[in-house]
Amino acid sequence: MNKKLDLFKNISLWPVVIYSFVLILLPLLYILFLSFCETDYVGGINYHFSIVNYLTIIDSTYLLIFAKSALIGIITTLICLVIAYPFAIFLMDKKEEVRNALIKLVMIPFLTNSLIRTYGWIVLLRKNGIINNGLTSLNIIKEPLSLMYNNIGIIIGMVYTLLPFMILPVYAAVNKLDPNLIKAAKDLGANKFHVFKDIIFKETISGAFNGSLMVFIPAIGYFFISDILGGGKQMIIGNLIKDQFLTARNWPFGSAISIFLIIVTFLLVRVYKKIGGNIDELGGM
Amino acid sequence: MKKILFFLIGLLLITGCTSKSTNQLNVLNWTSYIPDDVISDFEEEYNIKVNYGTYSSNEELLAKLSSSKKGTYDVVFPSDYMVSLMKEKKMLTKIDKKRFNNYENINPLFLKQEYDSKNNYSLPFLLATSVLAVNTEHIKENIEGYKDLLNKKYENDIVLIDDQRIIIGACLQVNGYDINDTNDKHLEEAKKFFLKMKPNVKAFDSDSPKTFLMTGEVNIGLLWNAEALLAQEYNPKIKIIYPKDGYALSMDNYCIVKGSKNVDNAYLFIDYLLRDDIAKRIVSEYPYIATNRNVSQMSNKKLKRILKNGSYIRNIGSNIKKYDKTWAKMK
Repeated sequence: MNKKLDLFKNISLWPVVIYSFVLILLPLLYILFLSFCETDYVGGINYHFSIVNYLTIIDSTYLLIFAKSALIGIITTLICLVIAYPFAIFLMDKKEEVRNALIKLVMIPFLTNSLIRTYGWIVLLRKNGIINNGLTSLNIIKEPLSLMYNNIGIIIGMVYTLLPFMILPVYAAVNKLDPNLIKAAKDLGANKFHVFKDIIFKETISGAFNGSLMVFIPAIGYFFISDILGGGKQMIIGNLIKDQFLTARNWPFGSAISIFLIIVTFLLVRVYKKIGGNIDELGGM
Repeated sequence: MKKILFFLIGLLLITGCTSKSTNQLNVLNWTSYIPDDVISDFEEEYNIKVNYGTYSSNEELLAKLSSSKKGTYDVVFPSDYMVSLMKEKKMLTKIDKKRFNNYENINPLFLKQEYDSKNNYSLPFLLATSVLAVNTEHIKENIEGYKDLLNKKYENDIVLIDDQRIIIGACLQVNGYDINDTNDKHLEEAKKFFLKMKPNVKAFDSDSPKTFLMTGEVNIGLLWNAEALLAQEYNPKIKIIYPKDGYALSMDNYCIVKGSKNVDNAYLFIDYLLRDDIAKRIVSEYPYIATNRNVSQMSNKKLKRILKNGSYIRNIGSNIKKYDKTWAKMK
């Protein structure tokens, strides 16, 4: 009986193994291979070993783009943290049904494609959009605010799209917290700030880091948000990679940047492990 | 359930059979360039099944052609520089002009262009040019060239197509250089000009820059002529200007792929598109400049001037890396 079950387990695993191999591992290996090639004059690939692509990355022009992307990523992550914690704490002492309902609301946007949701923001944020028209007709502002086609638009879009990835791990971590710990701290005279700083945040830091990873990494790659809400004026790593594949037709260089990005991701995951994070909790990573 | 499954398999078999029939044509064309009903009318009229695929850049077309089996595609629509490249790579079939009944419909102005001077491999289909579109309701000053866009009044008031060759090209032309210049110093000057203009740029957008003009988000745009015309149709106050410094020309052409298995059908199809009524239908939906002389969008004199003052974007080979880097610095 047990053997049969093992056999079933093995067979049922195969689709996942094949899937990961064919659709994840092989393409990644191809990208790795490409990153050591060169391009020819029409944007084809010259199969000839070279590390020139990696050397090109270390150029002030591209490093500046990395720095700008990182800044956008960090700001997005911080804003998401600031929103996610109060939300998670607010849910702490609510009834289970309320909690489940609210968490479901967080996930509902996933049912619509993020590109379409991003286009939706245009209607709200543009010069003659709903927000600006509303505020001017209420006489709160005279001139329409510049809410998009700048960095503000990018940050709004990033925070909106990536917030659930922060809320879920932070909520999971906060939810696991022993309420008695907080009660004890309060009894011993800790004020709200200290309870948060010394108990809640300290105990849930791995959840916070988990969420930060899941927000930061897409934030430096989601080129469609910077294109649509930033007006394509800000180049982030995602745009740079996209341009290499579509307009500059320099696939090897695009591959090299992608590999570079993967290495950065791995390094961040290592930091996460170092501070005591559980690798299984990273789930999607 | 089983019945449905059998039905579906049967359907698959039937469609599998029809696609094998010989009377077909494989066309690879730009996205949104020929209205769907023009294609379906051709299918009905000639009883030829058209397998229609699309691409969104010349390079994508090249990649699709070179990675597919010979004879996969019959008719393609490469732009100027891609025609010369495909010619060089021996990917195109020589065209016999005598086989067209409607060859005379082509305005001779558009023939014998630099990329295929004898039109042995290509016939002109549609001309796109980059233009400036200005909403004269809000912009009172006279705008003639790119330098006029530096006016501090136009802060955050310009939309540009998200195309490095066109935008860097315009910044080269404003300094008196060629649109295809690859000299480092000249590119540096182009970048400087752009950075001066940047505070006035609200956005880059290639998908639908006309929307920015139509919604009043901006009052000035540098975009393709068809987009500008559609914006003008929506708001007649929008004026279209051919910049005095020069602008980009992009001619798309009919070409027959080497190794095509449906050459006769390919000739029929191109001949069909050369017809006056069809040309009219195409440009009424996508208002690029028709090469058909009987579709009167503007006078021959004006057409001549447009062709003379514009420049074709050429393939600059690996120098594209310089453009890419300049582009990264500009953004």
